[in-house]
Amino acid sequence: MGPLAGMRVIEAGGGAAVGYGTKLLADLGADVVKLEPPEGDETRRRGPFPPGAEGHAERGGLFLYLNTNKRSVTLDLTTSRGRALFHALLGDMDLLMHSVPPPEMAAQGLDWQTVHALNPRLVQCSISRFGQSGPRRDWKGSDLISSAAGGWATVTGGGPGGEDLPPLKAFGQQADYQGGLHAATAALGVLLGRERHGSGGQHIDVSIQEVVLSFIEMTIAHHAYGGRVASRLGGKVLQPWAMMEAKDGYVFILCVQDVEWQRFVEWMGNPEWASWEIFADRFKRAETWDVLRPFIAEWVAQHTVEEIYTGGLARKLAFAPISTMGDLLASEHLKQRGFFAVLGHPEAGELTYPGAPWKFSATPWELRRPAPLLGQHTAEVLGLDAGTLARLKEERVV
Amino acid sequence: MRPLEGIRVCDFTWVWAGPFGTLQLAHLGADVIKIESSKRLDTVRGLVPADNQPGVNRAGYFNQYNQGKRSVALDLTTAEGKQIALELVAKSDVVAENFSAGVLERLGFGYEELRKVKPDIIVISLSGYGASGPLSPYISYGPAQVPMSGLAALTGYAGGPPMEVGISYGDPNAGIHGAVAILAALWHRQRTGEGQFIDESQWEAAIAVLPEGVMAQVMQGEQPERAGNRDLLHAPHGIFRCAGDDAWVALACRTEAEFAALCRVIERPDLSADPRYATLAARKHNEDALESEISAWTRTRDRWQVAEALQAASLAAHPAMTSADLVADPHLRARGIFVELPHAEVGVRTHVGIPWHLSETPCTVQVPAPLLGEHTDEVLRDVLGYADQPIERLRERGLFS
Repeated sequence: MGPLAGMRVIEAGGGAAVGYGTKLLADLGADVVKLEPPEGDETRRRGPFPPGAEGHAERGGLFLYLNTNKRSVTLDLTTSRGRALFHALLGDMDLLMHSVPPPEMAAQGLDWQTVHALNPRLVQCSISRFGQSGPRRDWKGSDLISSAAGGWATVTGGGPGGEDLPPLKAFGQQADYQGGLHAATAALGVLLGRERHGSGGQHIDVSIQEVVLSFIEMTIAHHAYGGRVASRLGGKVLQPWAMMEAKDGYVFILCVQDVEWQRFVEWMGNPEWASWEIFADRFKRAETWDVLRPFIAEWVAQHTVEEIYTGGLARKLAFAPISTMGDLLASEHLKQRGFFAVLGHPEAGELTYPGAPWKFSATPWELRRPAPLLGQHTAEVLGLDAGTLARLKEERVV
Repeated sequence: MRPLEGIRVCDFTWVWAGPFGTLQLAHLGADVIKIESSKRLDTVRGLVPADNQPGVNRAGYFNQYNQGKRSVALDLTTAEGKQIALELVAKSDVVAENFSAGVLERLGFGYEELRKVKPDIIVISLSGYGASGPLSPYISYGPAQVPMSGLAALTGYAGGPPMEVGISYGDPNAGIHGAVAILAALWHRQRTGEGQFIDESQWEAAIAVLPEGVMAQVMQGEQPERAGNRDLLHAPHGIFRCAGDDAWVALACRTEAEFAALCRVIERPDLSADPRYATLAARKHNEDALESEISAWTRTRDRWQVAEALQAASLAAHPAMTSADLVADPHLRARGIFVELPHAEVGVRTHVGIPWHLSETPCTVQVPAPLLGEHTDEVLRDVLGYADQPIERLRERGLFS
């Protein structure tokens, strides 16, 4: 059993941010009830799908991953009956985590006053693009928009000479996953405070824009400490830190500390240029990278990716191959760690999923059940008999 | 009372991944005590000094990600240093470390040793490859996790090479996953009195946020091709050039109604009826041409006017922000996300604060990042009960350097 066994969570609003936030909790043992509109969560339509199953609501890889261990209840929160059924569920919940945009919260029965009055111990965690206040509260967004608004895209992509290439988002929905992670952090912290201090419930306002801003490394520090504006068109703060071409493909070269550079220089056979004053420390090497890069590139080009990666490991250098997804699935190390998990599903069949991000010694992370079918648990969770369920379906409430 | 007031974290983490995790606990009100030493200096205390004047307390990197923590300088290579660290563990709820796997064991601080001094201790060990498996002894850094995890191979412009993502993404991602794990373990301890050991691999945490890549490989036998800012499902979806120097606006158009609105905003109502763009499938097929049509409108216009016009028509759009934009942004300023507290050596600088806000027990960053060893005496005296004289004796022996 996971560490959160017994915790009761309800999820609403859909998308990757709240989906990942509650997946973290569900996989650690919390009982998560996922509310979906009658047409299903938007991530059901996103894929990736197996060939021939495009658009199949039960077979999208993202949905299947994000919703392990959860139960699904369909409920139309824009109807008064739907809201009443939703509110009836809040009585014994610990946490409501949702992604309904601020201007739509009241209409869907999610305004804090209403929720708090129904269950004063409930913690409500609202994840939004721009937060619950401020002049752009009601602006529309998406993962791409959050990546741009939080300042991440501006420092990604490009490279020297890449002026015509736009700012770039990282693959996937990274702004949203981080939004979900920070929401889970705040929610667990507040729930712990409730248990430890006997305090009541409260409302957590998570802005994905601020979450992105909080992790873009040196972007703000460069500005505040050096008056520099970080850009994807500029250089790195230290070098070497680069993707370079080895004999058989790209490899990643990195020396964060000067002692690591010294070990790398020794490996390269202590070439004369490495003793030049202009390469004397990590900052100088960053300034003179245009001069240094060709020397290193020449050495890198004479070796294979594997030689550089494993040779680096042996010398306490954090070099890396540019892994493909196939490489990960075939990794002997990840196999021995039991990282990937195989799980059956009534519609999607047996599939391999990314597994536990951590191993708990006493309360293991576990997959207890696959992602739910749309509305699979509506009757069970809402306590409806067959007749009532049929009537509510007809009225398109569930 | 802040949610984690009364929780103490003995923090052996350094660089970025671990400190980013314990930063979240400090944000929630925990007493995070960073154990460090000038003899094994946290490398980000050198990144990058304010106004180019060197000094271990002047680094923006360190000062951003260690806000609200206390610092004890302690030489862990000495028997007395170890003893003091163990005394601190005995008074802590959580121990966090992100040395390479095995380093803490060699110092004598393995989980089994630590639980002898504090039976319900929660220990998180955050390493590149995890505490088991053939690669476990090896080091890694956050930047290397971007290629290692496969994120680099998935990120990049269409037809172009793999790309990094501008930051050492493996670090904050591992750190925040670590924070979730610690809090979950604290919840379990609150309920049962039981502590535990958490083994986190940076690499695995980085793969956990790549479901679109892994599941495509599993379901389709190949991974998605690099596609810049484009979306699997929607179009147009990208970042478009505006008037001015390196000025851009991001736009995500997700429904037919939004596309019709977009065509009206860019004064091209003809496009929504054009067979090349009339359906989503057609727009995906002709995305290059469609993007040119949009760029033709944006590139002569101010990015804020573009974003505001698009938002006024209920479209998701926002300028791509630079650091200069962010620190001056009226929305972010109104939200109060920046922290500007006086620091003994660098004065008032802008830092990013807490990206969530609580209605009943507000959390704010109350003190800036600590100077190296700033709280050594205070912690020895107030937490461990040392008198002034023994502290001085230990200092003379160089224990607190």
